[in-house]
Amino acid sequence: MEFTKITNKRMNEEYYRMKHRSGLEIIVYPKKGFNSTYASIGTKFGSVYSKFMFNGREVTVPDGTAHYLEHKLFESEDGDAFSKYAKVGASANAFTSFDMTCYLFSCTDNFRESLEILLDLVQSPYFTDETVAKEQGIISQEIKMYDDSPDWRVMMNLLTGLYHNHPINKDIAGSVETIAKITPQILYECYNSYYNLNNMVLAVVGAADPYEVLKIADEKLKTCERVDTRVIFPDEPYKTVKSYTEQILPVGVPQFELGFKENSTDKYATNKELICTSIMLSAFVGTGSELYRRLLDEKLINSSFGNEYLEGLGYRSVIFSGESADPKAAAEMICDAVGKLHKNGISHEDFDNARKSVYGIFASGFDRKQSIASELINGHFTGREIFEPAEIIANVTLNDINERLEHQLDVDNCCLSVIKSE
Amino acid sequence: MSEFVQRKICEGVTFGSITDDRFKIGRLSATLLVPLSRQTAAANALLACVLTRSCKKYPDFTSLSRKLDSLYGASLYPSVRQMGDCQALTIAVSGLDDNYTLNKEAVSAELADLLSSIIFEPNVNDGLFSEEDIEQERRQLIESIDSEYNDKRYYAIKRCIENMCSEELYSIGRFGSREEVEALTNADVYSAWKRLLSQARVELTMLGSASTEKAYEGFVKYFGDKPRTTEKPEHTDVVPEKVKYVSEDQELSQSKLVMGFRCNYDNDDRAALENSLMSAVLGGTPTSKLFLNVREKQSLCYYCVSRVDNNKGVLLIDSGVETENIEKTKNAVLEQLELLKKGDISDEELVNAKLAVKNSLMSSLDSLAALQDYYIGGVLRKNQLTPAKAAELTDGISKERIIELANKVQLDTVFTLKGN
Repeated sequence: MEFTKITNKRMNEEYYRMKHRSGLEIIVYPKKGFNSTYASIGTKFGSVYSKFMFNGREVTVPDGTAHYLEHKLFESEDGDAFSKYAKVGASANAFTSFDMTCYLFSCTDNFRESLEILLDLVQSPYFTDETVAKEQGIISQEIKMYDDSPDWRVMMNLLTGLYHNHPINKDIAGSVETIAKITPQILYECYNSYYNLNNMVLAVVGAADPYEVLKIADEKLKTCERVDTRVIFPDEPYKTVKSYTEQILPVGVPQFELGFKENSTDKYATNKELICTSIMLSAFVGTGSELYRRLLDEKLINSSFGNEYLEGLGYRSVIFSGESADPKAAAEMICDAVGKLHKNGISHEDFDNARKSVYGIFASGFDRKQSIASELINGHFTGREIFEPAEIIANVTLNDINERLEHQLDVDNCCLSVIKSE
Repeated sequence: MSEFVQRKICEGVTFGSITDDRFKIGRLSATLLVPLSRQTAAANALLACVLTRSCKKYPDFTSLSRKLDSLYGASLYPSVRQMGDCQALTIAVSGLDDNYTLNKEAVSAELADLLSSIIFEPNVNDGLFSEEDIEQERRQLIESIDSEYNDKRYYAIKRCIENMCSEELYSIGRFGSREEVEALTNADVYSAWKRLLSQARVELTMLGSASTEKAYEGFVKYFGDKPRTTEKPEHTDVVPEKVKYVSEDQELSQSKLVMGFRCNYDNDDRAALENSLMSAVLGGTPTSKLFLNVREKQSLCYYCVSRVDNNKGVLLIDSGVETENIEKTKNAVLEQLELLKKGDISDEELVNAKLAVKNSLMSSLDSLAALQDYYIGGVLRKNQLTPAKAAELTDGISKERIIELANKVQLDTVFTLKGN
């Protein structure tokens, strides 16, 4: 087995990847002169994978199962992974998102031991009634913490306002009620369906040598037979569920998210699509834009204002978010500006500045191990190579941006989510 | 990567730099430090915001932002924080290294110039800032203060400190109060600028691959010939006589418990390191006493964390719990602290905490942002250690020392934010 080396001259960076005989995709990204190493193993199983076909059978799991499984995988029959990591001095964590679950550590010493713990962790599930029950209290408090977080609520309410059927409209951690239904059997079923090495990727970034990683993988990984697992997403209409949603919470300043829903597709966005969207958004509403200035002048936003493109299988939306004394007026001004944007497109000067800005921000990601690992894992699952954006940004034209814009920001298909106090 | 090299520009002004070619983003910062004071905290905070909004050369927000975009999305932002009884205003710029620009444009020299312009050549006419800049930034600063209430964990910690240290400068807060910000005049902000330039202690940092000479010379020119008188606040040890209990109600799903303790204060970096290790043993890691007993054994919470402010001698433990479990959690925390005080600490617990502290120190060497934070965060202490030296010294800290420091931890205030 050999690694393929991928290099990029513009960024002066390189990494190595291979499909390991066990089924696992292994990516090693050495950072010259680094003391520390960050490793993350991800499975393509997140909160939206709540209904799937496994060996010809349809399985539906309670909301919050992927996240619950993440918590419980830290325990195995011979103890919990946190204490194993602690003995070798690595700092460990895990997270569950809408479309993946990742387990990670960062270390400056004892890399071999730390990686062994990580590879063991994902290969030794151990769920009993007792251990599963013990987690209810902890995760219930995690859920309640999020219930009180306006940042989180404003986004989840938006997704509920945008999506009729797609499980992106469900909280990642589920609810106190749904997690009460989770049993060891359900966790094992999800584990067997999705924690198959053929469905997973390991990214190691920092003071790492590809062949050292391979050696440890050879010793630790048990070959996995491919399993027949396929996620099922319900049909999602183009139209949003509603155009406005609000929740009362004790806040000092109202918070809002304004989301523009796009056509759902069963494909991930390409690097080119993502870059065009980033450049368009930077030109349209970045801090140097006319719109940003007008929103400030009218006292409708502050420096918390931002935007993102949320996309995955079956969902794509542009989201503007921030704090505002008057979210409705802010949304109205943005929608008006979107109308003009579609009519006039982006100007040459705005395009040029935005392109440079997006390039600088893209390059800055290569300074952070964690961000590289997360791009590598995400890139593997979505089929997006992580250096490709450098070339795309260098060569993209204004025409590309304006063409892409035609499929985005439909003012007749948006929803405003607001959190305010009584 | 070079060591952190510090050069004195003049009395009270230091330029610290690291030359390192591993990164694509270079960083520059200027931190102005003054004792916290009711009279000036709000004006200083607003000044930091106004300065980063425009300058003589780019006289309004949009022209300055567009300039930053054209410099490959360079960032320029103020951060106002409280470090012990001091207020620290940091203006930081960062941007793409010249080697990585698309057409080999020189970004780094422009960034150094920009930082000087921001501090020394603001958009001032006849002794006043632009009225528009003042009003815009005042509104946004007030919204920042109001929105501290949105984040319940942050809010509860802030309220605990306000109650615990009500008689001390520490309770003033990084921005001063909403009312103080509202009452500021343009002239107040202008005076704050003049005062800070002649009285603040100034720490400049430059990290990255760019040559530091030109930036250094630039700062010498600006600061060099001006006489300065810097002040620093006196630390007074506070011994809690009786525990204060303060509670507020809000419509929330989860209650927040914040316990404020007095702990050892020693203005020396090594003592700070020892105190941080004690806090790590108690509640700083996933194998700490609080994590293992309050979260894992009793399933009372998702987080129960201890952190120490070595610039003040305050240790805070906070958790999010069911309202009916507040008392139980508080007792569980105190029980763990009591065990530590009595010396119930295994070799393994100590070694694990040391490894965690060392890992975090050594990892900071791989991030210029982390190094910048590390050096700025320690400027108030004597004998500042490099992260590598601090990691090395961590090994030698004895169990007895941890127990001794734990015994200096005294409960002062319990703040609860009660949900439903």
